[in-house]
Amino acid sequence: MKIKIPEKVKPYLFLLPVIVLIGFWVYRPMLQTLQYSMYKWNMVPGTQASYVGFENFIKLLTKKEFGIAVANTVFYILGMLPFSVVIPLFLSVATQSLADKVKNGYRAFFFLPMIMAPVAIGIIFQWLFHPTNGIVNSVLQKTGLIEQVVPFLSDQATAKYVIAFIAGWKMIGFSTLMFSAALTGIDTQYYEASRMDGVGAVRRFFDITLVMLSPTVMLMLMMSILFSSQSTFAYIDVLTQGGPLNSTTNIYYLMYKYAFSDMNVGLSAAATILFLVVFGVIAIALQLLTKKIAFYDN
Amino acid sequence: MKFAKTKKVISIILAASMIVLLTGCGTTGTEQTSGENGQKQGTESAATAAPETGTKTGTEAGTEAGDGKDSFSDLLDPASPVKVTFYSYSLGMAQMKDGMSYLIDTFNNTIGKEKGIVVEGVADDYTKWKTDVQAGNQVDIVQHPFGTLDASAQNMGIKAYEDVFPKEELESHLDGITENALSLGKINGKMYGLAFTFSTPILYINGKIFEDAGLDPNNPPKTWEEMLTYAKTIKEKTGKDGFGLTPDNSWITDGIIYTNGGQILNDDRTKAVFASDETVEAFKLWKKFYEEGVAALGTTSDNMQGFAAGSIGMHLQSSSVLSSIKAAAEAGGWKLYGAAMPGMNGREAVPVNSGSCLVVRPDNDQKAQAIWEFIKFVTGDEGYTIITSRIGYLPLRTYLADDPQYLKDYVDQNPLLRINIDQLSRIRAAAIWPGDSATETMGIFTNAVTEAISTDADIKTVLTEAQEEINAILE
Repeated sequence: MKIKIPEKVKPYLFLLPVIVLIGFWVYRPMLQTLQYSMYKWNMVPGTQASYVGFENFIKLLTKKEFGIAVANTVFYILGMLPFSVVIPLFLSVATQSLADKVKNGYRAFFFLPMIMAPVAIGIIFQWLFHPTNGIVNSVLQKTGLIEQVVPFLSDQATAKYVIAFIAGWKMIGFSTLMFSAALTGIDTQYYEASRMDGVGAVRRFFDITLVMLSPTVMLMLMMSILFSSQSTFAYIDVLTQGGPLNSTTNIYYLMYKYAFSDMNVGLSAAATILFLVVFGVIAIALQLLTKKIAFYDN
Repeated sequence: MKFAKTKKVISIILAASMIVLLTGCGTTGTEQTSGENGQKQGTESAATAAPETGTKTGTEAGTEAGDGKDSFSDLLDPASPVKVTFYSYSLGMAQMKDGMSYLIDTFNNTIGKEKGIVVEGVADDYTKWKTDVQAGNQVDIVQHPFGTLDASAQNMGIKAYEDVFPKEELESHLDGITENALSLGKINGKMYGLAFTFSTPILYINGKIFEDAGLDPNNPPKTWEEMLTYAKTIKEKTGKDGFGLTPDNSWITDGIIYTNGGQILNDDRTKAVFASDETVEAFKLWKKFYEEGVAALGTTSDNMQGFAAGSIGMHLQSSSVLSSIKAAAEAGGWKLYGAAMPGMNGREAVPVNSGSCLVVRPDNDQKAQAIWEFIKFVTGDEGYTIITSRIGYLPLRTYLADDPQYLKDYVDQNPLLRINIDQLSRIRAAAIWPGDSATETMGIFTNAVTEAISTDADIKTVLTEAQEEINAILE
């Protein structure tokens, strides 16, 4: 016997597996996190969790390191923007008009850091920035820019800049690729018309290229803001473990530390919930902004 | 119109199924966190992750296994070997990996094969074993640092040796291990960790830098005051950094405080007491290396790499990296010298131990017996011979160093080890931070030391603030 499924039900049947999967893998853990944030527990099977209400949130908000972590999270967001938007935009526009082979060669170079393992990158930069054996200090000293070596990764003043730089450096390749792809999609007629009208290169960039790229710019802006905590995590863990004196820690690293080093899942969950709320608001704001600013050439 | 109605109905059904799904999850969540059911969850995931784990991860297991018995009734069977997991941070470190693998392999190929035990080494990073316990995986033996032992004893389901291994066998095995070392793994009179890999700090000296600076490497500094003079001379004459020890080393600091007569925790470990005048005085001396610009800057690994590369004159560091530093010296063409940890203000040095103990989590009698066989091997004569000669840790059975059958030749060839063995009689435990806040309080302490030593901040103020913060947590 053949069961006849009404036409109108079909689309929902197609949707059902996805909804079930998302519900199970995304919303269920999310609700569990919300629940954990009210408990004190070390996640060890066989032990008992005790209900503590909002105590985790209060403890979190009064912690000195939490304030530092929030400030650093903002620092990393701002620090990564040049690498995720400004530099890639420049690189992709600069290489756009080159011969195909050269262009692809350059882009492959830019993309290379993206496919390297973060831990390996961390170790390489550790060597580069080594106080006595590293090339950075050696060059700075030989050119007379510094007298004493700078211990980049153990000095509070410099460590977080190094972390932001490494995470940004890795991001350049991906952004450049995105912008390059978007550039290819721009109708060349606009450029031809503007040239005939005698428009200069700078004006062309701002009035045509940037406008046509605006959806991609907004996309990269959003990705950069939302993922900056994630992309700095590996370097914090490999190079500084949040130190010196918490100066490089960010909210992601704190969540990890609370849950798996301090064995306090409640505090970690509380931090996660706050993170979710704040970044959720940012994501919605950016979506609205994109709708307003981005120009689609339909 | 009709279409809109159908759509509405379907939407409601979908929404309802979603709610059911989520509530379902909610229930599982509640179960997990409510004690008994938490145990159930552990059992379930253990069953999927590692079938042999058995069912009890919780508190009961210990009382069943071995308690009060004089010996095990033989439960092992060579025909169907039992698997034991051994989480070892030495396996996760490049300088120690080969030696530790060799130790495990030797056991598996001899006693293991004969009795039916297969030990599987898992490279650890101090965190992996905990997350694996959280995930319900089989974690039987862990190479565990001392500083957080109390926390693990309370939270991670580890067992006291007296509760799971036969009393007589335990006593006869411990005979011959330095008493000082044994006491370090004891909490409230019970042994939660058996001292395993041990090292004390030694002052590594780069012979070439010493000679270039007109100093005699055979006459090393015996006090911190002397060490400061040496470091200044090195900086003046060679331009290289005189001395390397990072403030966040997280164990040698304890020894510096003890050396000058200070304490970190009070005797019953209920309060932090490190912000004393003794500590401040010791730290002032240590800070002078930074103020005079003769201290090597950078992280702990920066320091180690710097010394290995021949750009630091003296380096206070664990003896466990001896073999890798020796190899670096040979490759760099300079001679490595060494000395005991220097004293301070007329007091003799009180070296602390770094290193680890073995903690156990057997879940049944058979497993307990298998674990016990492995522990007897690795902390026995042959085990320590491998550990000392292949990694660089100390033989806790000190008589092995004079036994030609075991370590005598090796120690004679490596006189630096002798310094270490001599220090063993004077060691004191690095602070064991109390309870489940150990990682947190230890972190505050380390940060305070870093701030006090490497910034312009006032030592007394920084330490006092940190002490108050820690005591507020401990209350």
